[in-house]
Amino acid sequence: MEVMRILVIEDEKKLASYLKQGLTEQGYVVDTVHDGVEGLHMAMDAQYDLLVLDGMLPGIDGLGLLAALRQSRDTPVLMLTARVSVEDRVRGLQGGADDYLTKPFAFSELLARIEGLLRRSRPRVVAKESLVLSLHDLQLDLVRRKATRAGARLDLTSKEFTLLTLLLRRQGEVISRTQIAEQVWEMNFDTETNMVEVAIRRLRTKMDVPFTQKMLHTVRGMGYVLELRNA
Amino acid sequence: MKKRSQGSLGLRLSWWLALQSLIGLLMICLIVYVAFALRVEERQVEALAQKQDQLQHILTETQRNHDTAALKHQLDDYFVGHQNLHLLLSTHEGALVYENAAPDKLPSGTRKLRFRAASPLESDRQLSATLTLDTQDDNALLQRLALTLLAAAVGGALVISIGGFLLVRKSLKPLHHLVEDTRLIAADDLRPLDGWQQPEELQPLIEQFNALLQRLAEAYEQLEGFNADVAHELCTPLATLTSSIELAIRKTHVDVEVQELLGSNLEELHRMSAIVQDMLFLSQADRGSSARRQYVTSLASVAVSVADYHEADLDEARVLLQIRGDSTGQFDVPLLRRALSNLVANATRYAHQGSTVEIVITRLEDGGTRIAVANHGSTIEAEHLPRLFGRFYRGDPSRSHADQNHGLGLAIVAAIARMHGGSTFVTSDNGLTVVGLVIPLVTQKE
Repeated sequence: MEVMRILVIEDEKKLASYLKQGLTEQGYVVDTVHDGVEGLHMAMDAQYDLLVLDGMLPGIDGLGLLAALRQSRDTPVLMLTARVSVEDRVRGLQGGADDYLTKPFAFSELLARIEGLLRRSRPRVVAKESLVLSLHDLQLDLVRRKATRAGARLDLTSKEFTLLTLLLRRQGEVISRTQIAEQVWEMNFDTETNMVEVAIRRLRTKMDVPFTQKMLHTVRGMGYVLELRNA
Repeated sequence: MKKRSQGSLGLRLSWWLALQSLIGLLMICLIVYVAFALRVEERQVEALAQKQDQLQHILTETQRNHDTAALKHQLDDYFVGHQNLHLLLSTHEGALVYENAAPDKLPSGTRKLRFRAASPLESDRQLSATLTLDTQDDNALLQRLALTLLAAAVGGALVISIGGFLLVRKSLKPLHHLVEDTRLIAADDLRPLDGWQQPEELQPLIEQFNALLQRLAEAYEQLEGFNADVAHELCTPLATLTSSIELAIRKTHVDVEVQELLGSNLEELHRMSAIVQDMLFLSQADRGSSARRQYVTSLASVAVSVADYHEADLDEARVLLQIRGDSTGQFDVPLLRRALSNLVANATRYAHQGSTVEIVITRLEDGGTRIAVANHGSTIEAEHLPRLFGRFYRGDPSRSHADQNHGLGLAIVAAIARMHGGSTFVTSDNGLTVVGLVIPLVTQKE
């Protein structure tokens, strides 16, 4: 598989180095730069598959850099910003950013967005998604919306089915509560309450508790993952 | 310590005006009366003097014939035309010479004039005469005048007082407006007072008051700015911390205990991040960020999506959820979902087991929409109600559920209402607590 190159333009050195470390571990080739002017030069000179851009930079600010970059390049840009106002988002997206992430963010969230952007910019000819998802003895029939485990039918509500579909599609991947709330219920705000936690708990009692092989795991502080683990 | 106030300025002014006008009018009337009385007296004296002249003339004329009968006759003739006169003629010794028809009753008011007259009978002797003028008519006239003047004084004073009272009230009306305007000033909306229609005397007060408001607004803004700055400055360190801990957890060779610890730290970091995000959201709302409204055909369907999200939580709390009513209009749906979600979470938290939480959507007559979330639980004391929408406010520490809720939920509901140009409300009575927001019809301005 072709190696993806990412440029992180972030003036906070510590954060930049953690991002580099994390993304490198995920198999990306990462360069970091802490200054807007230099960042622009690097983005113009080298071929990057994606830019992670901080909104506020010394030298030239994020939006200014974006405008300059868009004169000649259409590299996908994920903006990091501490500003959360709706106007700012709109201004940024009109200014050419492809996606947004507000600080403070979870790393898994950043990863998910980066993957999403890369998928979008490189439309691969994917084999048609199978209409049946499965892991071990768990099977999901997306057409008939039927879930079975070890041959026995699971009695799931509509949202529980959607939740399980999400987990199964991205099996092995830790999915944060925020992402789950957004993708299953379209609630794109951080809730102070534990709706997702409760929903996961109920799903678990239906599809995991009666069986010896556990598949739905909690990764403390990060989210949930559906995978087979060896005891 | 509260001192007694000086009473109503308007009332005091009115009373003083009434009293002063009464005293003034009474004095004028008294002067008129005295002047008139003096003039009447003068006329009476003049009249007596004139009659004296005429009588002297008659007496000297009749002197020539020494005829007592003729004299009597002449005098009688004279007095026929002067009914109000009474004449007594007598000699020095006291012998009665003449008296015209004695009045049947003694007049109540008289004026007497004594004079000497040449005796028509004995030319060398003189008679003493007493001429009495009946002043009863004049007295009656004066009395009537006195009454009329008194009535005029009292009546006039009354008219002036009523006029004065109305005038004072009218003049003080701007003051009432001023008080009303001042009452309408809210902590988060420190508009200066509009003083252009106020009298000149109040201008310095209004100026001072507005200057005070401005200083207050500046202080408030500074505080808000500080909140936002703190939250803003925390964003990057929080992102750094979160990312680094996540990376550490991802490393599979880390000890389980350490992983547990890091996970727990991460959870706390998420809570901090949520608070920071909420504070930034609130400060954006305070700085006038407004909702991005779009047309929604059914608010009930928005409520259903929120209900879906809370389904598991409601079920665990053994609480049912019902949605009643519907409305359409322009709303910012993500914001509204968030507000509704906070309200439902709150209602669920405080609802009795087995009770029903209701979302009631009402279309108002003016085209606005009212969204209320009701739950049966313990009654919230009235003193807590007005502060329920404040930041980090928890009415009862024992019900705080601090682990799930950092006290900004209802503040965010209020901010979302404000971003729609609306307001919030809360009532709690007999165990039924209703919290909600009213969103007015979208205006042209927005």
